[in-house]
Amino acid sequence: MSVFTLSQTDREKTLLPELVDLVDHHRRNCVPYDRILSASGFAGASDISELPWLPVRLFKTLELKSIPDDEVFKVLTSSGTTGEVSRIYLDKAAAATQTRQLGATLQTVLGPRRLPMLVVDTKSILKDRRSFSARGAGVLGMSTFGRDHCWALDAEGVVDLDGIRAFLAKHGDEPFLIFGFTYLVWLHLYEVALSHGLDLGNGILIHSGGWKKLVDQAVSPAEFRSRLAGVGITRVHNFYGMVEQIGTIFLEGPDGGSLYCPDFADVVVRDPETWAELPPGEPGLIEVVSTLPTSYPGHVLLTEDLGVVHGVDDGDWPGKRFSVLGRLPRAEARGCSDTYRSAA
Amino acid sequence: MIHRFGVEGDLTAPSEERLAVGDPRMVDFLAKLARKLLAPAVARRHPELGSLGYFLRPAELKRSVERMTARQDALVFPRGNVFHLPPANVDTIFVYSWAISALAGNHNVVRISSRSAGAAEVILEALNETEADPVIARTQRMVTYGHDDAVTAALSRWCDLRVIWGGDTAVDTIRRQPLRPSARDLTFPDRTSWAVLSVPGWRAADPAARRAAVVGFANDAYWFDQAACSSPRTVFLVGGGGDTGGVRAEFLDLLLGVVDQRGWTVDPAMAVEKRVNAYGLAATGAATALDFPDNRITAVTLAGTDRAPRRWIGAGAFPFAEVDSLIDLVPAMNRQDQTVSHFGFTPAELRAFAVELGGRGVDRIVPFGSALTFGAIWDGYDLPAEFTRLTTLQP
Repeated sequence: MSVFTLSQTDREKTLLPELVDLVDHHRRNCVPYDRILSASGFAGASDISELPWLPVRLFKTLELKSIPDDEVFKVLTSSGTTGEVSRIYLDKAAAATQTRQLGATLQTVLGPRRLPMLVVDTKSILKDRRSFSARGAGVLGMSTFGRDHCWALDAEGVVDLDGIRAFLAKHGDEPFLIFGFTYLVWLHLYEVALSHGLDLGNGILIHSGGWKKLVDQAVSPAEFRSRLAGVGITRVHNFYGMVEQIGTIFLEGPDGGSLYCPDFADVVVRDPETWAELPPGEPGLIEVVSTLPTSYPGHVLLTEDLGVVHGVDDGDWPGKRFSVLGRLPRAEARGCSDTYRSAA
Repeated sequence: MIHRFGVEGDLTAPSEERLAVGDPRMVDFLAKLARKLLAPAVARRHPELGSLGYFLRPAELKRSVERMTARQDALVFPRGNVFHLPPANVDTIFVYSWAISALAGNHNVVRISSRSAGAAEVILEALNETEADPVIARTQRMVTYGHDDAVTAALSRWCDLRVIWGGDTAVDTIRRQPLRPSARDLTFPDRTSWAVLSVPGWRAADPAARRAAVVGFANDAYWFDQAACSSPRTVFLVGGGGDTGGVRAEFLDLLLGVVDQRGWTVDPAMAVEKRVNAYGLAATGAATALDFPDNRITAVTLAGTDRAPRRWIGAGAFPFAEVDSLIDLVPAMNRQDQTVSHFGFTPAELRAFAVELGGRGVDRIVPFGSALTFGAIWDGYDLPAEFTRLTTLQP
């Protein structure tokens, strides 16, 4: 079973009416959203790229939800680097949908059964609830898709070689799931596997978290992939996702090099000067589109990530394939009110 | 700690050097500095240094000194030691603040932000290249240090007057460091500034006057990314009788023309920032219409004068509100409001506005194009008076 099946034409045909309905649904149920659309003069969309987008950061400054207070089942938060927090409101149905669809997306590459799971992180990131981070939330969210979890790092963040060896002794000759943030996988798992000759050949690696730290070390996504293949990890899937569109992840295909949209999602890359959609090959700002957000108006979000569409219906899976290139630097004003604002 | 100007060494050590109010050695130094800042090569790259140079030219210095020493009822002396904490990003503020204090004969320490760049670096270079009597370097020091509370604490105990720029947070943070009982603070907290445009005045003006007004407004708004305390933000269209659409459209057209001509740009991150803020105004009902004709201009129609935002909403973001008269605008003004720049009003209308405000808000009412022009009277303070002290003498 796969959720990567729809060609771009079929995808747009399927998603557009659902998204138009979602726009109406959110306008009826989220007053601030309706005011934004009215003030910007939104009249209608005949194309996914004409749908009204919200800057993702708006969820840090406004309370945006399309459900009554007494139906709020879960509030997800993400802490950004500047200390502002996004608040995402889910009712029971939305919470169930996002878990189900995330599961369906991952099953495309993991298969239907839960696999033993090697987490390239430390269990202690889950312990301190106050400093519970996006990293912790990501690990916790992903851990439900595995079993017999082994934490590759100890409480101090040092590689637990004995633990990994014990895990491999037990599960290493059947498919197992490896999950971690990209730079942790590079720093801890890759280097340890290399120097200790660990056999990770049955591992399926799912990783995320941005390339900045690796690019700083001059490790490109392609090199990451080829070096991991060198220690036997050939099934590698990067993904891109955000708490503001929870349940939707854009997953790297088997051959690498591109992220793909699940059937309930799409991306639009926009020119940051004209805000028009850019054709494949031209980098711009990434807009993520998904039919999952029903409890908050997060169905069409302009991210602050730069990306490029590489092609349409010409890769491992149908639809658009794209890459994330980096982050838009945060706007910084000159001005009087800043003697004690720390440099970002 | 990095010494940027003046002799290195203990900043708080007692000094035997004495400067007078309007000390000729200081006047000479400032006049030479002004010449450097007014050099065509400098002024081309940093137009804001031109107004600084103008402020420091000899005739202006002489007038300032005369004003400081004019009174008959007391002898005027330097206040003593002055510690300046200017903002990081308005590159020229530190010079104004320091120069008036230096002209008043004070021993000054200026903390220059480590993030200072561009014009600030040019000024520091000019300061160091300017020929000076040795007393200047021994009494005037500019340093850069991190957020080191120990240094700030020592300088706070050293000074007779502490000058804190940079807004509410800066003032609150620095005030945690006690002063000597005899010392006090001169604070420049968060401010908001506005523009008022008379619709009848606009209609009466010829095309050249309209364009000149917009050129002035564009400088006021864009020079410091609309984030200086004096940068105009909301534009109040006054006396249009409900029919201001045409005036606003023409104003924005001209504005975009000026921005084009100057080659000013707004980067994508700033454009997103403006969307976030404009959508925020719409979401709360403060704005009823948003226009994004170009990244460089965001136009926002406010639901009323009382909904004008007091926080910065981005470079090239212009909320508009309509009001029947300047007097009707008075209830919307408060203590946080600093500069109102104007176009198309009669002197009598402006005076009536100021009188009705009664000092409860708005410290400066200036024409378009002068919003950023620093003056010795700032934020309601007479700075030369703040930087001096008085001795009464009854023989």
